[in-house]
Amino acid sequence: MSPQNIRRNKLIWIGLLLTIAAVLSQGLYFTRLPGQHVFPWLNLALAIVAVILLTIGLLRAFRQPDLYRGKISGSISTLLAVVILIFTVTMFVDVRKVPASAGAPKVGQKAPDFMLSDIHGQNVSLSQLLSSPEGGAPPKATLLVFYRGYW
Amino acid sequence: MAISVDTPEVSARLCRKAGLTYTFLSDPKEDVLRQYDLVHAKGGPGGTDISRPAEFLVDSTGTVRWVNFTEDIRVRARADEMLAAAREIR
Repeated sequence: MSPQNIRRNKLIWIGLLLTIAAVLSQGLYFTRLPGQHVFPWLNLALAIVAVILLTIGLLRAFRQPDLYRGKISGSISTLLAVVILIFTVTMFVDVRKVPASAGAPKVGQKAPDFMLSDIHGQNVSLSQLLSSPEGGAPPKATLLVFYRGYW
Repeated sequence: MAISVDTPEVSARLCRKAGLTYTFLSDPKEDVLRQYDLVHAKGGPGGTDISRPAEFLVDSTGTVRWVNFTEDIRVRARADEMLAAAREIR
């Protein structure tokens, strides 16, 4: 077959685009978009599919060099995609290492009262927050947000 | 209101920087985190204990009306979810 007939190895380019999409999709957790819960999975799926496509693309570039291009671009892209996949999987496992918190108060149960210091060094209790008037009337409810800190 | 292991000084800085005016409470000894079973052992920088992310909506009688425990620390309760839960309380 003449060199003119060598086809462009599309799988390599699609794989590379998916790898880039996997990296970019990391930022989506921090948006306010609904469906935010699926983004960690989408991110992982993109990285896996990218590696699969690139591997197939790379294999055919090496096995059928007279048919497909992409030995060099395929090797570089696949290496990059594998690094991104390892990073994505590591992060995916890491951010899900949260305790089960089986003993935490459940819906319908009483929230245990407590007292802690606020930013002015004043002791504030939950019962105080639930009863102290805010803008004239006591609040209907209080939202307790526990966060990781170290901001 | 928000709770973390950060000291009042650290929380004060965060409130100033981010312009937050609601109550920030400090639990550096993890007393409340243990009480609520939310301690994430060695989850913080340098192997320190921190709080796992969690949100509770507590009504005026002290009863929990809504909770959210994320399985992925990148995914948190969104403002619209919390507001929807708050609207259920009358």
